Amino acid sequence: MIKKVLVANRGEIAVRVMRTCREMGITSVAVFSDADRNSMHVRYADEAYHIGPSPSNESYLVIDKIIKTAKKSKADAIHPGYGFLSENAVFSDRCKKEGIIFIGPSSHSISTMGDKITARRTITKAGVPVVPGTTDPLTSDEDALKVIKKIGLPVMIKASAGGGGKGIRLVKKEEDIIPSLRAAKSEAKAAFSNDEVYVEKYIQSPHHIEFQILADRHGNVIHLFERECSVQRRHQKVIEETPSPLMNPEIRAEMGKHAVAVAKAADYEGAGTIEFIVDDNLNYYFLEMNTRLQVEHPITERVVGIDLVKEQINIANGLKLSYKQEELSQNGHAIECRIYAEDPDKNFIPSPGIIQHISEPLGFGVRHDGYVYEGYEIPMFYDPLISKLIVWGKTRQEAIDRMKRALFTYKITGIKTTIKFLERIMNTPDFINGNYNTHFIEKNHAFLQDVDKCDGDCKAMAIIAAFIDHTNRIAGAQSTGTSGSDGSNWKSCGRRKSMIRL
Amino acid sequence: MALEINIDGKSSNVELLGKEENKYQVSIDGKIYNVDVAMVEKGVYSVLYKNKSFNVELVRGKEPKTYIINTLYNSYDISILDAEAKYLRSRKDDDMDDDDAISSPMPGKVVKILVKTGDKVKAGDTVIIISAMKMESEYKVKRDRVIKNVMVKEGDIIDGNQPLIIVE
Repeated sequence: MIKKVLVANRGEIAVRVMRTCREMGITSVAVFSDADRNSMHVRYADEAYHIGPSPSNESYLVIDKIIKTAKKSKADAIHPGYGFLSENAVFSDRCKKEGIIFIGPSSHSISTMGDKITARRTITKAGVPVVPGTTDPLTSDEDALKVIKKIGLPVMIKASAGGGGKGIRLVKKEEDIIPSLRAAKSEAKAAFSNDEVYVEKYIQSPHHIEFQILADRHGNVIHLFERECSVQRRHQKVIEETPSPLMNPEIRAEMGKHAVAVAKAADYEGAGTIEFIVDDNLNYYFLEMNTRLQVEHPITERVVGIDLVKEQINIANGLKLSYKQEELSQNGHAIECRIYAEDPDKNFIPSPGIIQHISEPLGFGVRHDGYVYEGYEIPMFYDPLISKLIVWGKTRQEAIDRMKRALFTYKITGIKTTIKFLERIMNTPDFINGNYNTHFIEKNHAFLQDVDKCDGDCKAMAIIAAFIDHTNRIAGAQSTGTSGSDGSNWKSCGRRKSMIRL
Repeated sequence: MALEINIDGKSSNVELLGKEENKYQVSIDGKIYNVDVAMVEKGVYSVLYKNKSFNVELVRGKEPKTYIINTLYNSYDISILDAEAKYLRSRKDDDMDDDDAISSPMPGKVVKILVKTGDKVKAGDTVIIISAMKMESEYKVKRDRVIKNVMVKEGDIIDGNQPLIIVE
């Protein structure tokens, strides 16, 4: 049985994994770079080891350093979190060779699902619908023209080794086919040193809906229903919810079965996510599988009532799943908002810096997964995710109202955050009506930017606060170092205190 | 006491007319406000005006006597223009046009420098690429320029608003 887990990650996810370790009586080991000495995961863990300079390719991504630390700390397992080494087949394999349990799937599953063409082939064999397109790389221009004509325009040309939006081209017109193909190939070559591309039908009004699955070593696979992730900005998820407002029970059951079939086809073990692209008429197609815990996993935990990290650890221990499919149901509605250190007024430029003050929302139905605290400096080396705010409500409407309330009380000063942008989304009619797809933010751009709610009074209050802060500061500077006029430091201290109301 | 305060580029005359405990009477360009102001947390003021509750967050800017102020939905750049600030500002204007230095609004790391001293660049040319939080931003010149000095090198960690490349 696992007694000590090294968490090969940082930020909110490292803290989140350690929370479960603590509940299970498992000792947690943190690793940290130069920039992360003061980070919360180092403080929360039972043990912490320094693993190198701040850039992640010199610390969190160096397999040798992580393995060495696991051995030194005598950790019997490694939890990779998400990002960094979580979907690295070499790392999974290396752990196995070194006799350390990797809390995640085998290298075979990771590579099967990591290469998009192999994944497409495996999935098609399992009878799961994929977006119409090719399972073979396009070999020549003639081949491309023939294949694309068969599928019908518009299509997407994608790099086999792709990710992060690189090597992808949308083709709408016939004369654009050849130039787009060449551009995608050269971009893929530059980014991944592999110029294999394939082609897929382009879905006009796409919804991004994913299914959470759990699989044990004994061939049992269950799904924990869907997550709707269509609110995206630059292919990055912003808000997720479950159940999806688009879904109905029949399609949900069918998609769930297919998600389980995908996991089985990949000989999967652990927690994973099957992503589907769904059109307005509920035609759905397999998109890809994420062979790790997702950022947005808490909404599933909240609605289904299962701690996914605990299940991951149990599975890694070789135990059978604690739940059967028929025992699971969705209770109420959960929404997650991702809070990023980005400035929504300046085209979302990153905003690293020192947190002057933070007050986190509390109260019924609110969960806050974060890692920053007052005085903490958010480093510029890593992802801008500060925290995730998760709310639960009996109904979708109640969950939206609760999220608005929670965002209203969530205050972070010192850096710019996306909190007010998220509040605007909660007030957007298309979101309230559950009528949205991945074009939501683009479509509602004007509404989301229009934030001039109380310009006159707010401006005046801002001026007054600045004025008073400035005059108090001058008064404070003048009185320091001198004792009170009547010679009592206690009295002057009290007077100053009541003046600035500390 | 009276001060000139600049908010988002527009100046206002602000005067304190009276004060009792934390009740203030303030005039902004002649309009009188009776407010109850309390600093409730570090950098956060609670302002009551006509019984409406405003939470105003003050973040001190990089320059002295400047603030970034956030209310619920709005964010303002504010600077206090007292005699000293006015004097410093007039001197600074003589020294250097802000446009002569390329800088990044946020801290980050220099990924790539595409120019060297003496290069002639055209309007819209990218001169430097900065990465912060896994995102790369390109900085371009707005007009045709000559590179006068490159103050940083690739791989350097930089501060927000630090001059990176001087142009003329």
